[in-house]
Amino acid sequence: MANVEYRGMNLVIPENDSEWREHFKLARGHKLMLRACKACGLMRYPPSHGCPWCATLEWEWKEVSGKGHIYSYEVVHHAIQPGFKEWTPYAVVLVELDEQRGKPTPDEALRIIANLVTPDGKPEAEAKVAIGKRVRVVFQDLTPDFALPQFTLTDEPPVGRVWSLPG
Amino acid sequence: MAGLRDKYCIVGVGETEYSKHSGRSTRAMAVEAVKTAMADAGLKASDVDGMMSYQSGDSTPANWVAPDLGIRLNFYMDVFGGGSSTEALVGLAMGAIESGMCNTVAIFRSMNGYSDFRIGGTGVRAAQPVRGLDLAQMPFGMRSAGQSFAPTFMRHMYEHGTTSEQVARVRVAHSKHASQNPKALLKERVTVADVVGSRWITKPLHLLDCCVETDNATCIIVTSTERARDLKQKPAYVMGVAGRVNKARTDFHWAAGPISRVAGYYAKDIVFGQAGIKPEDVDVTGSYDAFTFTTMLQLEEYGFCKKGEGGQYVSSGTIELGGRRPNNTSGGHLCEGYTHGMSMVIENVRQLRGRVDDNCPGWAEGKHSYDYSPGKCRQVKDAKITMNLGWAMPPTGSALILHS
Repeated sequence: MANVEYRGMNLVIPENDSEWREHFKLARGHKLMLRACKACGLMRYPPSHGCPWCATLEWEWKEVSGKGHIYSYEVVHHAIQPGFKEWTPYAVVLVELDEQRGKPTPDEALRIIANLVTPDGKPEAEAKVAIGKRVRVVFQDLTPDFALPQFTLTDEPPVGRVWSLPG
Repeated sequence: MAGLRDKYCIVGVGETEYSKHSGRSTRAMAVEAVKTAMADAGLKASDVDGMMSYQSGDSTPANWVAPDLGIRLNFYMDVFGGGSSTEALVGLAMGAIESGMCNTVAIFRSMNGYSDFRIGGTGVRAAQPVRGLDLAQMPFGMRSAGQSFAPTFMRHMYEHGTTSEQVARVRVAHSKHASQNPKALLKERVTVADVVGSRWITKPLHLLDCCVETDNATCIIVTSTERARDLKQKPAYVMGVAGRVNKARTDFHWAAGPISRVAGYYAKDIVFGQAGIKPEDVDVTGSYDAFTFTTMLQLEEYGFCKKGEGGQYVSSGTIELGGRRPNNTSGGHLCEGYTHGMSMVIENVRQLRGRVDDNCPGWAEGKHSYDYSPGKCRQVKDAKITMNLGWAMPPTGSALILHS
């Protein structure tokens, strides 16, 4: 049983875990790796057991670039978890990765939830968060076997229209 | 359900006080709500032989509630879930009766949603460990329903130009309705300025875009139309039901876009198909309002307006009392109280009876003034068809069409 204490939360990965242990351990090695179907080759996130498109149960880890753009976001002002209160306002971003965009159908993509952080791991300033902006993965090391993939802004040209909530 | 339309109905409804401090157990509240609904229907203990409930580890099971009312059950089932459960359980109750397992089913939801298990994730829930699929979002400070839904709402604004001011009109409408509802927790009418001027919870949600967490129990009773003939109330007949319909990739719905599409995209064909009607035939809607945005997203997805025009629809006056198709005439979860959907079905049943419990002195006899100025009537004139749009999450929803 792996127990990771983070911001007052008890993150639990039991001995019989079949989804998350390797994912967070690979992240500790500073690699963002996703499960890819051995039959059709399509990747998916979060880690799961059958291919959502062809139902094949065999898969392998595949590394992705960790680059993408902000597909949607929110900025939390009223934290629910006590350990996040000191972080407010903080951005939660839905990042669309560069790999496999619009596949296998136009509306599908590899998307991942994370925080938008500065390169040194602090919450990014609220005014800088916007849909369309480019990001890259960074890793927040928590234990010798566990790191959270997070994202930080890059200066690459945006994807589509840059938009943030007015006001 | 071609063969089941009008074969089943809701014959009794009841609830406890909406409060933030019930001071009693979910079992005590459930017993009161079921008893109230039985009295409403004119059913005695031996007439009820089925019971169902929904909960999320925060309530009392049906087989602990029935004995307190002298009910011996031929069937019971407690399911896991919150919003979208009510409508789905109506369908399951019909199936239980149709199969011959039982004759009459009481469905309840009992929750100390403010004083004990707060759905927002504070209180008892705050100490729960994070495991399984929750690891995909909770370590990033995405814990509450509002935090989980906000990126869907934000993307809708990006794609369709929906504004905070438009969506605020949902709160304005529901507060107007609550001002006519003596049971409502929040009876004060608010303005668009009040909503967009309230503090941020998580952008794009202001405080007043969010519902009011509540202690409460609710109950509805389902039986066959045949059984209903000699009961007390005018039945609300089931025309169509869709239960917990999903988008693809419900485990992580962000993977299958457009993420501003919600489950109603799929549920609408099922429920309107059974009922044999179109959205314009509906007189009153009950679109789940855990947040202002959830009402808006569902109304557009079910076809009450074009996709992307939900902001205009909810700000046009259509959804207010006096408008063409009022939504959540009780004040809903935003203002009456948060019950995971059942209160909105109760309200629609009362609308169909012509007997909503407003401030009209003769409401119990169906005498209404239809004066929607503050503190007066909330009965919709000649309400014949109502529709409930239940929401669990963006990718999961249910729907129920009733007629008088």
